[in-house]
Amino acid sequence: MGRQRPGSKSEDLPGKFIHLKLSGERLEKQFCIPWYVLPFGIPCLFSLIIVLRIPVLILLLFGSLPILAQSRLGKDTLTPVKVWAAKPVMEANAAIPVQQLDQEKLNRLNSLSVADAAKYFSGVVVKDYGGIGGLKTVSVRSLGANHTGVMYDGLMMNDAQAGQTDLGRFSIDNISLIQLFNPHQPSLLQPARNFSYAAILSMTSRVEEINKHSELTAKIRGGSFGFFNPSIYFAQPIKGGLSVSGNAEMQVTDGDYPFRDYETGNASVRRVNSDVKNYRLETDVAYQLKDSGLFKAKVYFYDDKRGLPGAVVLYNRNAGDRLNSRLFFTQASWRKKITSKSQVLVSGKYTADQKYYLDPNFPNSAGKIENDFRQKEYYFSAVYATQLTEGLGFSLASDYQYNQLRRNDPFATGFANPNRGVLMTNLALKYERNRYHLFSNLLFTGTADKVATGKAAKPYRELTPSLAASVRLTAHSPLRLRLSYKSIFRLPTFDDLYYTNVGNTSLSPEYAQCYNIGLTGQWQQQRYLQRFFFTADIYYNQVRDKILALPRQNLFQWSMQNIGLVNIKGADLAVQADFGKQVSLQTSVHLSYSYQDARDFSNPSSVLYKTQLPYTPKHSGSVNLGFSWKAYTIGYNVLLSSYRYRAGEPNNSNLVKEWATHDLSVRYALPIKKNFNVQILAELNNIFNQQYEIIRYYPMPGRNYRVGISFSKK
Amino acid sequence: MKVQYNKLVAVIMITGSLLIQSCSKDEPAPSPVTSPAKGLYVLSEGGGDSKLGYYNKTTGAFLGDFFNQQNGSNLGQIGNDMIQYGGKSYIVMNTTGNVTVIDHSTGLLLRRINFVNLVPGRLPRYAIAHQGKVFVSAQDGTVSVIDTASLDITRTITVGSNPEEMAISGDKLFVTNSGGFNFPNYDSTLSVINLNTLVETGKIRVGINPRKITADDNGNLYIVATGDYVTVPSSIVKVNAATETVSFRADTAVSTIRYYNNALFVTNDFPYTGLSSNVRMLRISDFSNMSAGFIADATAITTPYGLEIDDNNGDVYITDAKDFVVSGEVFCFDKLGNKRFSFTVSPGVNPNSVVFIR
Repeated sequence: MGRQRPGSKSEDLPGKFIHLKLSGERLEKQFCIPWYVLPFGIPCLFSLIIVLRIPVLILLLFGSLPILAQSRLGKDTLTPVKVWAAKPVMEANAAIPVQQLDQEKLNRLNSLSVADAAKYFSGVVVKDYGGIGGLKTVSVRSLGANHTGVMYDGLMMNDAQAGQTDLGRFSIDNISLIQLFNPHQPSLLQPARNFSYAAILSMTSRVEEINKHSELTAKIRGGSFGFFNPSIYFAQPIKGGLSVSGNAEMQVTDGDYPFRDYETGNASVRRVNSDVKNYRLETDVAYQLKDSGLFKAKVYFYDDKRGLPGAVVLYNRNAGDRLNSRLFFTQASWRKKITSKSQVLVSGKYTADQKYYLDPNFPNSAGKIENDFRQKEYYFSAVYATQLTEGLGFSLASDYQYNQLRRNDPFATGFANPNRGVLMTNLALKYERNRYHLFSNLLFTGTADKVATGKAAKPYRELTPSLAASVRLTAHSPLRLRLSYKSIFRLPTFDDLYYTNVGNTSLSPEYAQCYNIGLTGQWQQQRYLQRFFFTADIYYNQVRDKILALPRQNLFQWSMQNIGLVNIKGADLAVQADFGKQVSLQTSVHLSYSYQDARDFSNPSSVLYKTQLPYTPKHSGSVNLGFSWKAYTIGYNVLLSSYRYRAGEPNNSNLVKEWATHDLSVRYALPIKKNFNVQILAELNNIFNQQYEIIRYYPMPGRNYRVGISFSKK
Repeated sequence: MKVQYNKLVAVIMITGSLLIQSCSKDEPAPSPVTSPAKGLYVLSEGGGDSKLGYYNKTTGAFLGDFFNQQNGSNLGQIGNDMIQYGGKSYIVMNTTGNVTVIDHSTGLLLRRINFVNLVPGRLPRYAIAHQGKVFVSAQDGTVSVIDTASLDITRTITVGSNPEEMAISGDKLFVTNSGGFNFPNYDSTLSVINLNTLVETGKIRVGINPRKITADDNGNLYIVATGDYVTVPSSIVKVNAATETVSFRADTAVSTIRYYNNALFVTNDFPYTGLSSNVRMLRISDFSNMSAGFIADATAITTPYGLEIDDNNGDVYITDAKDFVVSGEVFCFDKLGNKRFSFTVSPGVNPNSVVFIR
């Protein structure tokens, strides 16, 4: 847990930098790159050439120039190394609701992907079709997955085609911090795009927070249903503030877990076509410049092949659909202090994304159908932030992104092949003085679409504000009151606009208004109770002009329309207590509860008028118990969800029953040598073997286990 | 502090168990009925799972998930068609890939004739019965022949691509070949099968994307060529069954078509374009409207989806799919178009077939 003092100054600095002083320790191997770095360099270079082609080479070249220049100038002196880190914040101190899972908590969760971990946040509904594969998207506070932005190491992930990011693609192996902001992170030195969502799920990779020591960690895990998961991680400081790190991981599973059949409810049958095989490769470079600026760059490659297991209404023998996806991105940021009070942040990102879908049983003359969608995005951002007077700062950010979508399969007749340019400019204001915090922003968004065939969408021009304020009740009160408002929208996606025969190019954006009022409290350094905090928020959201598919003429002909209206009232509560100061057994308890009343007000004449949104439980919650005793770390995690309904009327046929899962994880650190750490881990998931569904007719795995061992040399 | 800690743990446990209890919603499982009285079966293809409902004409009661109630199991996905032949009813389960045979009078499951385990797997669409056989069209371009005594598939006949509805005239079976899965290269033919030899004898070109077909008593067939939904409009094509030639054609936006008593009963394909009536009666000669609309009273149907006519009294049954998401409704009209009764088929979504229990 973040154990900084409340209101500590470093927390309030614009940007996310922690200054760490390297103690007198001499770095011996500064000049030699260890052998194990090479295997990372080669595939990265390879993928660079294959996937990136020219644009990114330019970007990297541009990025590496300062490194080369600096390293020539660099003297062999030991300067303080400043580490780039997105840091945990104090939940109870934040002007804007934030929930987080730090390294310690993540270690105690039995989650494989970020989507699994996000289920522990209150107000979050994760769509999960079962197993470690499958599309997993999150909707925060019933706003819909398209209003939730996903951030990776400070820059947004963007999918212009579907508008939602599949969190199943992100393994938590390399993640040290996951945070959920409602609506955004209240910091000035951020790109404009980071303000364009109603909620932000931020992932921070492990490479962000080290690099003062070299490290090599190898981990291997195995488990039920053919699960196999080796990974390797290294970090290496090279010379005078330059450091590299890399991470490679493979996840394989047959995914053929048993479930009680839907025909009789007695026999045990196995899930078919639920196999997954994915690889991930990630390399980071960070360079601490002499002028206290910082440059960092990342190359990320992910390749995923999986089956889509299909619904089990009666039986499920004919599921054969496959989805292969590839994600490549590279991003670089450069932060520089201009004066003692102002700084700039310049960032660039290139993303290439391929999704290949195959239905091998399609009854056309080819005997199959393929969808091969390829997306590219070029993104550039510049931010200027300055401190005007004590406590008052502002920033101006301008971003440009260019998206293109191509369909490359023989079945792509008349596909629009759209391109979109988006310009975003953001003005942010932050005031922090005594008991008061204030954060406000105004975002301008302008777009222009171009298509190869058909009609392009009209250009969108939007101006959207937000305001958040929080006040400590009295000067020394542990209680804080917070209020926030955000007006935001989501652009119609390429699928909404251009999907063959379904897309509608005259769509308007989908607007969301979000209001929040909350009370937080925090007590620290009590005797046995080390820390206690709670956050309690109630919110009201309204989504209007919601983009929904409507049948136009018959079941073959659907069309996207701006017809939805949703009113959402909800509450998020979280309590955490850490015990065990000055004793050997340390205990941490975290409880969260979420209430959501999300009703469909779209059509007063429909029987669905004022009914709860599909798949939205009224009540949900989680319990996390963590124990650490000597060399053992134990986590016991419970997820709870009340019943909910799938799409349609709230009747028994559409009922998806309530569920609860209990997971246990145990870690044991073998005492070997100071610099050599061996950990054994064992996980038992769904201890009570509950057969449950998150999506109707998609059974989730029952009781299963995983074991693993990791070796770490520092 | 120790005490507080224990209290906290207790609170967690209690909160947890309360949450579980207060958040459950128990489904009462209805018990099977011995034998349904006079009434109707309604097949709803569902948004994800199909339902067979039973409507009691005497009491007006509707059992929405009758198949499950009788057999303790789901039907499956996309029940696309249902017919009665003899003492059995045949439910064509498209996505699940079987023909589910039930005892017509009790609704009890007799057999699931599997189409998916065949090589290649088939996705059945429509059924029609003739002299001890049930013919089932399937999306892999075949018509399978089921022996109604043994309930085995005795033969499979290759036709055009993605066959849909079928009709019988004389000793010929006519099969619409839509080619809908080859979009935009639709099929445009009607396959002719000799019912004595069970061999495809030829194909008749009728217009792109033929899906619906009905036969009259005078050796004529009426086919709806649905068009491409974009530029080619929907049309009705009249075919002489004996000469296998097209005798008349007219553009009209029609979805379902049924011949009865010298007229064609059709439902319109455009529920959202504001036509004054979406169920019409057409003349068999030139497909012109016999009246502005079939429905004589103020009854409004949102999305007519299925159409059935009771041969005994000329009652017309229209199934309404509403917005394709909520429970559908079934309307019964007398032959003059006045509503006799209607009922909601909850939890059935997208009702498409009505079968009589006499």
